[in-house]
Amino acid sequence: MVVFSFYIFDRHTECIYSRSWLPPSVTEAAAPSVVAPTPTPSAVTAIPDLEREHERNNQGGRPRDRRSKAAKAGDDAKLIFGTVFSLRNMVRKLGGEDDAFITYRTGQYKLHYYETASNLRFVMLTDTAAPSMRNVLHQIYINLWVEYVVKNPLSPVEHKGGEGVKNELFELGLDQFIRGLM
Amino acid sequence: MFSSLITCRYRSAFGDWLATIFALIIINKAGGLIYNKTFHEGGLNKISTNDYLVLAGTFHGVHAITTRLNPLKNVPAADRIPASTTLAGGPGMLTRPEPSSGLEVLESENFRLQCFNTMTGTKFLLFTDTTQANVDVTIRRIYEMYADYVMKNPFYQLEMPVRCDMFDRKLSSYIRELNNR
Repeated sequence: MVVFSFYIFDRHTECIYSRSWLPPSVTEAAAPSVVAPTPTPSAVTAIPDLEREHERNNQGGRPRDRRSKAAKAGDDAKLIFGTVFSLRNMVRKLGGEDDAFITYRTGQYKLHYYETASNLRFVMLTDTAAPSMRNVLHQIYINLWVEYVVKNPLSPVEHKGGEGVKNELFELGLDQFIRGLM
Repeated sequence: MFSSLITCRYRSAFGDWLATIFALIIINKAGGLIYNKTFHEGGLNKISTNDYLVLAGTFHGVHAITTRLNPLKNVPAADRIPASTTLAGGPGMLTRPEPSSGLEVLESENFRLQCFNTMTGTKFLLFTDTTQANVDVTIRRIYEMYADYVMKNPFYQLEMPVRCDMFDRKLSSYIRELNNR
């Protein structure tokens, strides 16, 4: 099983965390970048990190490709939220208020969805052969989100721009957990 | 009416053992609803025709977005993780990747939605029980019926709502047979 990417959306529909485990693409590998691209699927691209890099690149005077990549990742997150939101509403309309959208599959990938009672949405993209990841998303919520983000006394209530989510323990725990699955 | 009563009785006796086909929706290539039929009452909520039209349009848009979201589209073929086949030309040879397909199966707690997208962009959506098996075979059979009784009907206008008695009758009897099995 392969996990491609993972997203968290808050109740204000904002993407507060995103991470990708995809191998770096050809264009990225060809272009000289700040982070040395590794051949194994270990390129970690959290949006806040990219923004920071983007600022650094601006000072270095090579803003073009980085900017487009950060913008692309942001666009993808918006598209995913739109899809998930529409499908969830559709499922609720047809299956009743208590029904919940779980997953959809295309020929190339599978999207898993989990929504908490406080409208926090967890989305994961995997390959098509993956079994249901609903319990995995639930585990991420219980063991990582609640433990490292909610119980962190320094963490803000709202996570504007991913603030409070990009803490070391959460990111490390998430990475280990996902790599354990693959 | 009688058949649906029987289905309900089996349902209560054996729990969710009996798989059922709930409804069929056909969407034309512009996203308009052209056919909509419910086979089993109680599987899905009753919604108005207007809501069905909205649903068809929404699904059409979502289907297009899910095609674009393919995470592997920018990854070179050699790096793709499910490396199923390596061509004789080796990794250096340019290979055209298979075009991304949109949403095929959607699962929720109460139902399962199978989408079949034809070569011409018409979409067949079949709503079934979560335990229903072989839905792809069923949906292909329905597509065949559509080709035989709708497309070959000289009075049918393309992209317009389907009002063909023959199609209605054949479809109903086919689904009834599956639901009562």
